Amino acid sequence: MGSKVSDDHLYTVRSIVGSEFTDMDIIRALHLAKNDVTAAINIIFDTSTPKSQPTHAINKRRVSPPKSTPPTVTSSSKRNADVENKKCSVESKSIDWWFVGSGDVAGLSTCKGRTIKSGDAVIFKFPAKKVSVSPSPGKVFGRAAACSEIVRFSNEQDWEIGRIPNEWARCLLPLVRDNKVKIEGKCEFAPNVLGIMDTIILSISVFINRSMFVKQHQVSLKDAANSTDESVFHPLPSLFRLLGLSPFKKAELTPGDFCSNKRPFSQTVTSLHAKSERPLQNGHENETEDTVSEFDLENIVGVASSSELEEMDPPENLLCDLRPYQKQALHWMIQMEKGRPRDDTTTTLHPCWEAYRLADKRELVVYLNAFSGEATTEFPSTLQMARGGILADAMGLGKTVMTISLLITHSGRGGLFGSQPITQSFIEGGEVSDTGTIPNFANIPKKVTKFTGFDKPTKQSNSLTSGGNLIICPMTLLGQWKAEIETHVRPGSLSLYVHYGQSRPKDAKSLAQCDIVITTYGVLASDFSSENAENNGGLFSIRWFRVVLDEAHTIKSSKSQVSMAASALIADNRWCLTGTPIQNNLEDVYSLLRFLRIEPWGHWAWWNKLIQKPFEGGDERGLKLVQSILKPIMLRRTKHSTDREGKPILVLPPADMQIIYCEPTEAEKDFYEALFKRSKVKFDQFVEQGRVLHNYASILELLLRLRQCCDHPFLVMSRGDTQEFADLKKLAKRFLKGTCNASEGEEKDALSRAYVHEVVEELRKGEQGECPICLEAFEDAVLTPCAHRLCRECLLASWRNSTSGLCPVCRKIVSKQDLITAPTESRFQVDIEKNWVESCKVTGLLNELENIRSSGSKSIVFSQWTAFLDLLQIPFTRNKISFLRLDGTLNMQQREKVIKQFSEDSDIQVLLMSLKAGGVGINLTAASNAFVMDPWWNPAVEEQAVMRIHRIGQTKKVAIKRFIVKGSVEQRMEAVQARKQRMISGALTDQEVRSARIEELKMLFT
Amino acid sequence: MANSNLPRRIIKETQRLLSEPAPGISASPSEDNMRYFNVMILGPTQSPYEGGVFKLELFLPEEYPMAAPKVRFLTKIYHPNIDKLGRICLDILKDKWSPALQIRTVLLSIQALLSAPNPDDPLSENIAKHWKSNEAEAVETAKEWTRLYASGA
Repeated sequence: MGSKVSDDHLYTVRSIVGSEFTDMDIIRALHLAKNDVTAAINIIFDTSTPKSQPTHAINKRRVSPPKSTPPTVTSSSKRNADVENKKCSVESKSIDWWFVGSGDVAGLSTCKGRTIKSGDAVIFKFPAKKVSVSPSPGKVFGRAAACSEIVRFSNEQDWEIGRIPNEWARCLLPLVRDNKVKIEGKCEFAPNVLGIMDTIILSISVFINRSMFVKQHQVSLKDAANSTDESVFHPLPSLFRLLGLSPFKKAELTPGDFCSNKRPFSQTVTSLHAKSERPLQNGHENETEDTVSEFDLENIVGVASSSELEEMDPPENLLCDLRPYQKQALHWMIQMEKGRPRDDTTTTLHPCWEAYRLADKRELVVYLNAFSGEATTEFPSTLQMARGGILADAMGLGKTVMTISLLITHSGRGGLFGSQPITQSFIEGGEVSDTGTIPNFANIPKKVTKFTGFDKPTKQSNSLTSGGNLIICPMTLLGQWKAEIETHVRPGSLSLYVHYGQSRPKDAKSLAQCDIVITTYGVLASDFSSENAENNGGLFSIRWFRVVLDEAHTIKSSKSQVSMAASALIADNRWCLTGTPIQNNLEDVYSLLRFLRIEPWGHWAWWNKLIQKPFEGGDERGLKLVQSILKPIMLRRTKHSTDREGKPILVLPPADMQIIYCEPTEAEKDFYEALFKRSKVKFDQFVEQGRVLHNYASILELLLRLRQCCDHPFLVMSRGDTQEFADLKKLAKRFLKGTCNASEGEEKDALSRAYVHEVVEELRKGEQGECPICLEAFEDAVLTPCAHRLCRECLLASWRNSTSGLCPVCRKIVSKQDLITAPTESRFQVDIEKNWVESCKVTGLLNELENIRSSGSKSIVFSQWTAFLDLLQIPFTRNKISFLRLDGTLNMQQREKVIKQFSEDSDIQVLLMSLKAGGVGINLTAASNAFVMDPWWNPAVEEQAVMRIHRIGQTKKVAIKRFIVKGSVEQRMEAVQARKQRMISGALTDQEVRSARIEELKMLFT
Repeated sequence: MANSNLPRRIIKETQRLLSEPAPGISASPSEDNMRYFNVMILGPTQSPYEGGVFKLELFLPEEYPMAAPKVRFLTKIYHPNIDKLGRICLDILKDKWSPALQIRTVLLSIQALLSAPNPDDPLSENIAKHWKSNEAEAVETAKEWTRLYASGA
């Protein structure tokens, strides 16, 4: 046997000779030709007779056409046969068909010996839509298309002559099948006698059906959005390209910009690649801790050269002065909302569309969307683009005030834009005299513009109530927004309503009446989900004039309910306020763009294909594109931005950063060393086993203990798992003993010994339990007289009044005085009050506070452990330092109260604050000192907390002091941070298991 | 989203309910709202409800555990302390609620209520009257309803 017939060869021959021949014919021919494909094809054509002649095709003679018009043949498909060759001729002059243009095509002969002359009409045969019989589709070599995709042509005698190239077939097939396009062709040139694979030049004229433009508009957009298919191929634009049509107006953005390799890159943003790979490595989504650093952010989004922006004065209704850069923001935001002047927008082509002039005598213009392949004859103007943008100024620049000034300057009702250029409140406020500030308003043509395609498809836009401004913010900022609007806006000029709480009205009308509605992301999401059920959701039945998302990165996960809810809101103007438009991942931007309706990036398919995928694959073009999308719609300044004269835009009092290195006492050192040795043994075990990353949580736990120990050894003794460190008990004893000897002669020696003994005893028994209310291990447990143990906080929370209540377990009345602090299971396993001893950090802090006490300036003390805040309360009370405390246990009202009191009561010296509570938005400029008691893994979080005091409104010099214990894990944390800040930032958190470099962990355990 | 800030206590209770269910009781949280539970209680033996499978819904309000869960029978039941909307007259669901009670204890109490109807503290006047005037007949009706509505669920 000379050779075996391969599937590939069979397939190649089949693609030339068509399916008239059986496999056996081809295999036989291949055998005879010794597997030479060309020879085999010759053999087939020379010797074989096709099993079936295409006799069923009836070729009608056309009405004799004018000379210049080629023969008219269209093909439509039917699935009645293996090979479908049915042809019918249609009047080419039909009004439904528009002549697009014609082009030359190099056809390939598939016959031998037949003839075709220049000028002869050809008939195209389109295969039926059917599953390819290709024997091994995976092995298709070269450009050979599947059989079912081959478009053949015959002469007028209906003898097959050849086939047209694949790139043409690929465009034409779907279009012809759907009857959107028809083609006519004639031979331009052919060899006198045809041989296999000879070139035949054809001239093809393409006609497009009018119906293509009728319903296409909505449908294809949807298709593009839903398509998960990565190979987005649009036949029509490709066909236009093949025909040599070039748009007389080009799209500003085309897929080609990103798919071709032509674009040079002036800017390299290499630092981002490591970033982009990380999520892939992790295999799970990033959490908030994994923040993008300021540096990266600036690489991605850039910082506006703000000096170029014009300023705009706010109306008198704003009761505070804006700084120049804030006036710039106001001007910019107003410009973004008005868009370009109306005449411009109506005549400016949407950047994703291109315009083609058809060759048809009727002089038709067709617009093609370069991204979705969508076609229309209606002019797609930029008017349909979003109004609004992203105000991404860095923290502390006053985004809230800028937004409030926008609310006052340009206000109105949803859906009325254009028909009512000057707003209701504006007139009522009597501020119209100041028209110089908004000169263009009067010039706006008074025609109502349709914003088709942007409404929620289920709802008619005219059934929506016109509303004012909707501000959505995190719950913690609700009060602040309300307060800032009330202080900065002239009373009576705007009506304000806080849409929050169980009893909030669902009625759209009452919501729509207010000029400003403030609500939370939670309410938004819950209204959204309930709306789906009942379809009467308040927020969604209003067409808002403006929607503002504060801390807009809240919606960054595009699949989250809140993100979808935000995108579903209907509004004329949309704004995102965020200091961190990209928090973890480039994908965060997608959600913002979707909310802002920046087309086409609100469609996942496009975003993913052109930005996300390239970016993740390390292709800088993805990033470049994001930059080009964001640039026009985003304003971002940082504290370092400068104005026209090169001065910083924001001059804050200087901030003095200082690190205080504390020297631990001998007892502390011994305790720490013992703890460290134990931890290191464990860590080394993990390293030996090669299971560091598998035991990540345990390692972080070890580190946590060490870090807490740096604050105060009591924090470590307090934990329920102290059994693991059983031999530490001795050291604990020593520590306590050392305390008593060292601290000014307190005579609690006997008691503490007995107590420690008891602790040890309890520990040995391993007695643990859980609070019947929180179901957790006891925290600060109390014993009721009826001998029930509960967490103090849980018990007190269950009481209606603060002095007495029922025992939740047995319903006996218990008063607060009768409660006994349960010794063994308290938060601290030693009685911290009685055995109080200062750690070196506490001593350091007290010294600092003592130094500034006389100056009367206020301080904030940050720690990430509320237990440490508990501890600090003891020396504060003893030293008569008046303090307040703000931590995660407080609800919104309580927080507001604490902040208010801290700001207003001059007797309060210190605010104890936990990291969790100190997060976003809170303004604590009353304080001018910040003490950061323990270093955080993520310096960005530390910075954010410190920003609470160093921001607009701060008048005094700010001192920020960070405490680090010498020779401890804290100091090594600093080193690790410095060495690879970006790698570690956010990658290591106490609770979360993250894959970070083992090397760096080892560094911590040296 | 709604479940992200679910209190630890609810998570813990749910885990325990699923890992060690109380006999004759099953409670599983709804997928889209972890505060909503689908509950099934088997009619206690030697009660008129024996052999029946009773569906209930249980919802943990925002304030839980400081406020009682909201529980309602979905299966029709003939019981003096349960009305035709399935609402249950049980002190621990009202003023006698204590945060030391849990979903499990609430459901066990309801199960116990099926064993021991209390016509002196009725929610459904008619049924209570029936119970008091002719207990045997009322019990028969309860059995009948159990057969009609609570079998093969």
